[in-house]
Amino acid sequence: MAVAFGGLLSLPSWAQNWTTESVAPTTTSRFLSVADDALLAEIAETIIPETDIPGAKSLGVHTYIQKIVKDCMDTQAQEALENGLYTVGDISKKSKGKDFVAMNPTERTAFLNELLTQGADEETKTFYNLVKNLTIRGFTTSEYYLTNIAHYQLVPGFYHGCVPISTSK
Amino acid sequence: MYIQETAAGNQFDAIVIGSGISGGWAAKELTKHGLKTLVLERGRDVKHVTDYPTGVMNPWEFEHRNQLPLDVKQANPVVSKCYAFYEGTTHFFVKDAEHPYVQEKPFDWIRGYQVGGKSLLWARQTQRWSDLDFEGPARDGFAVDWPIRYADLAPWYSYVEKFAGISGNKDGLAQLPDGEFQKPHEMNCAETHFQKAIASKYKDRQVIQGRCAHLTEPKDIHFQQGRAQCQHRTICERGCPFGGYFSSNASTIPWAMKTGKMTLRPDSVVHSIIYDEKKGKATGVRVVDANTKKMTEYYARIIFVNAAAMNTNLILLNSTSSRFPNGLGNDSGVLGKYVAFHNYRATISAQYDGDLDSTTAGRRPNSPYIPRFRNLHKQETNFLRGYAAGFNAGRSTYTNNEGIGADLKKNLINPSWGGWHVGSHMMGETIPKENSTVSLDGTLKDPFGIPQLKINMFYDDNDEKMIKDFYEQFTEMYEAAGFKNIKTRDSKQAPGLDIHEMGGARMGKDAKTSMLNKWNQLHACKNVFVTDGAAMTSTSTQNPSLTYMALTARAVDYAVQEMKKKNL
Repeated sequence: MAVAFGGLLSLPSWAQNWTTESVAPTTTSRFLSVADDALLAEIAETIIPETDIPGAKSLGVHTYIQKIVKDCMDTQAQEALENGLYTVGDISKKSKGKDFVAMNPTERTAFLNELLTQGADEETKTFYNLVKNLTIRGFTTSEYYLTNIAHYQLVPGFYHGCVPISTSK
Repeated sequence: MYIQETAAGNQFDAIVIGSGISGGWAAKELTKHGLKTLVLERGRDVKHVTDYPTGVMNPWEFEHRNQLPLDVKQANPVVSKCYAFYEGTTHFFVKDAEHPYVQEKPFDWIRGYQVGGKSLLWARQTQRWSDLDFEGPARDGFAVDWPIRYADLAPWYSYVEKFAGISGNKDGLAQLPDGEFQKPHEMNCAETHFQKAIASKYKDRQVIQGRCAHLTEPKDIHFQQGRAQCQHRTICERGCPFGGYFSSNASTIPWAMKTGKMTLRPDSVVHSIIYDEKKGKATGVRVVDANTKKMTEYYARIIFVNAAAMNTNLILLNSTSSRFPNGLGNDSGVLGKYVAFHNYRATISAQYDGDLDSTTAGRRPNSPYIPRFRNLHKQETNFLRGYAAGFNAGRSTYTNNEGIGADLKKNLINPSWGGWHVGSHMMGETIPKENSTVSLDGTLKDPFGIPQLKINMFYDDNDEKMIKDFYEQFTEMYEAAGFKNIKTRDSKQAPGLDIHEMGGARMGKDAKTSMLNKWNQLHACKNVFVTDGAAMTSTSTQNPSLTYMALTARAVDYAVQEMKKKNL
């Protein structure tokens, strides 16, 4: 009965029009320059890279980060993100002779690891933790992760109190 | 149906103020008896299914993945404290600035101004009261004696339970009478473990599955309402397109509408009830249109006030006349006094390291319940009354978030199993006191020209003692179950966040000390009935909505009989 009803339920028209695009950022949620947004995308991709499953960049995690920092966090967080991106650009050019985005994946990983280990100041640590935590959150709340990894179901239709762990995934 | 703004168009048999959980029931019962009924709702219309804009959204479809934007939080410090207020539900809550009130003492007033009111948002727990609750004030010497006992309400509990659809076990407990139950939700391994541990150590304490307003075995009466079995989505507060849980929107309001006898008028803020000195009764209500601010009068033979506890007090206080200078029916002077709430400050959490080969699957819109065990049959502690508690266990997972790159990603997609996390929250009875009050501000008005409500509620010494006892008893109970890492927490939250404010127009036997008689009828103005939280003489520990529903159905039945006898 329950499953059949789910199939028969006619949803209102507004519910059938959602696409990834319809919930994409509005202009009011942007505050980073195009270059900074591209840099943030590559940093997030370095934290969670493409493997046999999509990485941060293709899941739009950088867009999520910018939106959350702009809309849900205070101006201090916004400044920390902007300043941190500037610092990354600055240090990468000075110490490595090229922009972060021009590095290969191995160089990028090494660069981000060094950013924290070489006596980083508080601002840099704040920036690093902000971006890393939001990258993880953006990845684990993405449609891809919730659907394919966490197996989220909008309409589970049941609750079983005790199931063996081996078959519960 | 549209109102025709003529004298005849403004005349009804009955008026119901409010369309929430009790107003919906009043509407259903009055129209069932063929009465031409006007239902006034101060907020906008919310139609079942079509007005649940987030009802079928996946978590990733929300612009901020359900996090509240900072400007919303900053503009709404009160409602942002509510657990159910998030990106997917903001449209069902009153924003702080829209409807101001005065906090004489801190009070987080959580409101849902729309058709259906808070019945869209409630936690859906439906536990009956017993005589151990109704006899409380008389036994322990506070408030006044309830004019009713369990036997008066029992058939009406059954009546509303069958229609609303309640799931639960028949547990055979004196303090929590059994009802008309559909099959219960399952407990999980950790919860069953706790249930057994408590049963073996205590004769007087039980862990049971919560009784809740979810359809687990829908019957014909529910299919007739257009409702179907609960799908365990656990996003109830966004509105349920299945009608899996009971709300006015899914159930009583469309049912009343089908009779053709109901006129539903949203955006209608009730200013006051009109009292006719010559006739010696109420003749109608004054309504401010929320959009045009124009005032209109509507008339009826009987009036049901179901505006939710605080606003029902406000309307009665604002209904003054030379006969009732201090508010309608307020000969006793108790209107707005003896208001109370539930104490939800205390929680206790722990880890359970057993049953590590098991977990849960799916989701459950309910959790186990520990009925009151303190001072049940006689006074035993250094505080009056007692508390019930929720109990909930879930298997936790954790991930190693160290480092960056492919290894971090691998960890994120392969979380490790942690132990079971268990938690309880206290639901404490508070004692209604004369100096716990709501009143009208002398100068401040709301956007409709109605005086703002001043709220003066507070915790007292009895509440503090009860919290201490809850920690002690639950620590002992958790230890008996072998739980580790036991942690108590006092949220220090202000009254109000429990969303169980009650009283102010209490029921009682004596017109000198109460507002309402045993039929929820104003002692001094017999054609006005109050059947929402304002009527509550004491609070007990149970989630109160089921009792409001039963009181409402019972009061309508009485009112209709009295109308037939020409007494009303």
